[in-house]
Amino acid sequence: MIDGTRLEGRIRVERDGTVTAFSGKVEFGQGIRTGFAQIVADEIDVPIERVTVILADTARTPPDRGTFGSHSTEQEGPALRRAAAFARRQLIERASAKLNVPADRLRTEEGVVRDGDGRALAYAELVAEGPLTGAIPDDVPLLPRERWRYMGKPRPALEAVDIVAGRARYAADVRLEGMLRGALVRPPVRGSKVRNVDDAAAKAMPGVVAVVREGDLVGVLAEREDQARAAADAVDVDWDLPATAAGETVVLPLHEDKGIDAALAEGATRIERTYVCPPIANAPIGPSAAVADVRADGATIYGSTHRPFALREAAAKRLGLPPEKVRFILTLGSGTYGRSSSFDAPMEAAVLSKNVGRPVLLQWSRAEEFEWSPSRPEAVLEASVALDASGAIAAWRYDEHTNVHTSTGFDPAYGGESSGRNAVPPYRIPHAQVTLYVEPTPLRTANFRSLAASENVFAIESLMDELAHESGQDPLAFRLRHLDDERLRRVLERVAERAQWGTPRGERRGVGIACTSYHGTKVAEAAEVEVSPSGAVRLLRLWAVIDPGSVVNPDGVRNQVEGGMQQSASWTLFEELRHRGARVLTSAWDQYRIATFRDAPLAIDVEVAPDPAAPSSGVGEPGAVPAAAAIANAVFAACGARVRELPLLPERVRSASPAR
Amino acid sequence: MKLTLRVNGADHDVDVPRRATLLSVLRDDLGLVATRFGCGAGQCGACYVLVDGAAVASCLMTVDQAVDHEIVTVEGLAQDGKLSPVQDAFAREGAMQCGYCTSGMLISATALLRRSSHPSDEEIRDALAPNLCRCGAYGRAIRAVQRAAAT
Repeated sequence: MIDGTRLEGRIRVERDGTVTAFSGKVEFGQGIRTGFAQIVADEIDVPIERVTVILADTARTPPDRGTFGSHSTEQEGPALRRAAAFARRQLIERASAKLNVPADRLRTEEGVVRDGDGRALAYAELVAEGPLTGAIPDDVPLLPRERWRYMGKPRPALEAVDIVAGRARYAADVRLEGMLRGALVRPPVRGSKVRNVDDAAAKAMPGVVAVVREGDLVGVLAEREDQARAAADAVDVDWDLPATAAGETVVLPLHEDKGIDAALAEGATRIERTYVCPPIANAPIGPSAAVADVRADGATIYGSTHRPFALREAAAKRLGLPPEKVRFILTLGSGTYGRSSSFDAPMEAAVLSKNVGRPVLLQWSRAEEFEWSPSRPEAVLEASVALDASGAIAAWRYDEHTNVHTSTGFDPAYGGESSGRNAVPPYRIPHAQVTLYVEPTPLRTANFRSLAASENVFAIESLMDELAHESGQDPLAFRLRHLDDERLRRVLERVAERAQWGTPRGERRGVGIACTSYHGTKVAEAAEVEVSPSGAVRLLRLWAVIDPGSVVNPDGVRNQVEGGMQQSASWTLFEELRHRGARVLTSAWDQYRIATFRDAPLAIDVEVAPDPAAPSSGVGEPGAVPAAAAIANAVFAACGARVRELPLLPERVRSASPAR
Repeated sequence: MKLTLRVNGADHDVDVPRRATLLSVLRDDLGLVATRFGCGAGQCGACYVLVDGAAVASCLMTVDQAVDHEIVTVEGLAQDGKLSPVQDAFAREGAMQCGYCTSGMLISATALLRRSSHPSDEEIRDALAPNLCRCGAYGRAIRAVQRAAAT
């Protein structure tokens, strides 16, 4: 195991003066490799072109719990920065000894240590005597802000040129000597057990090398992928279908108030509302894929997952190998937004490879990706709120009904952080009771960008809008009168300004706003829509103002927030994963509409409003969180239709429209 | 069956099953893996290649249909080691996140600019509408195509 508390586990200054940095985090297009390179280049003081960042290779990078929750910059940024600063200090100390000059009279400049008399030693020369090592101290001095050349400045992703040039490599692009292609034989329903396999016909088909059965996994290996798929269709498996497990509801109070019933009863105005979010698919453009090369004495798995070290543990267990004999190497990954927290393709490829002793590439079909992947659970959000005579919120009862949101199952110790994320509103409320009900579902549900925050914030921010309108208050002013968080107030006021809140938009057009505080990041968003008389919603513009504390790469932040809002707009306007019981009924893109170029708004305006005094918090998820409510509130502003069930389909908008 | 494909300006002899898709031959026989599998049904745009200058889903075309046509993949867009204006514009605009769909977008954009050198916003959206992007980089990609058109 690589020790991430030691310099040699984090930063290596190579003999040619280039710098290699190591992190167990994973890149899916969030831009962390670029951000990490900016941090390391600045702190060790070399041109950024000389920095290489190695991510998530279990043999080379320190262990990591996983890439989720928009925590990468917050968790790894400071660790890499301290490591780079420590390396720089050691380089100065070595130069000091060589030049016989006190360290405090030396300074670094672009990969060189200089004294005041024109003498200079390149980093390459200083590591010739041996690598830099040692435990990284907590209190290593950091370079002051005025010495930064990269941090805080916009920078295109490091992978961009490779991607456009066709040089980028994803899991399904890995090619190994002797590699076979795999295809799985799927049961009628998840959890089925194999009773018997008849593979005679399949084995006789062209290109087929083996039919593998291990436990309830049945797959075909062939020289070509189409051969493997054709043969998989020809395998006749007798399946034992699972009995429907009832399961139990877990009830978890997230915020308690003994006086809630009395406070609700005493309110001057009381409203009760229910909001509904359907299950939706992560729907990555690249279906799950992995390459595994499993030999008797060890295994290598190539692919992409949110939890590389946990994947190694799981694979070692499944393959019967000690964990140190299993290596996971990260490739670029199609964005999966949480879906690859589950290890499906890598584990399946490993089992298939183990059974033939040759490397195997397994890539799921589009139908498999829709039908067999975990999806975002549905949510039913029930609220009962009382306002006092002044129109302020007096009491707030909120029941969240949903399912498990994480691939590792529901853990009550983290319930508020997973299935209950952002269920407690950021507003000042004298009596608030918030309860999470995690209910059983026949669907396979797991991680999707922001977990339950998107559902909860859709409900809470729609409700705030409704409360404002019901009591004749401006929705912006109503939020502000209940907000004490200065940073959240600032982004909310600022987004209202940018979206020209309060300026009429004309016939059937309207603007909605929403905001949230997500893992320390403050974000407010606005949407402008036009609603046709038939109820079709056209998204015209989106605005966001985001304060994620200190910002490493402002363009990286903008890209994440733009993408998060665009993706959330797609969820909000179009998406619902259809299913009957455990069976997903969607198998292709023409049955699961997502936003296309034609649906993209005319503009997405993102203002990055950092708070340099605050540590970096995340940006990958929060941008996606308030957009649904901003759009739904805009629909209300445009045509008076309050739609409480997503997606905002034309028929829902039409039937919710007031009679004219 | 044995046949010759003209890809990125060179002839390639391959021996593959007759009904193999052009996509699988590009990826698995010619090693041109930047053309990506997304759906196998022509519904996502990830596998687009230029066939005689038009953007075509290589997952729907069989290899025998591709014979006698000029195929260009993303690997063949750069000229003399220099990125094409479309490639350069996508990189400069940061018009991607994960990049999985980018190859297909580059192909659609290249085909568009070949038939319309200064496309309107509407034309760009229509031409790239078959290319799905889940990361939501549509706005940046539109700007990238506009930038490429201006160079």
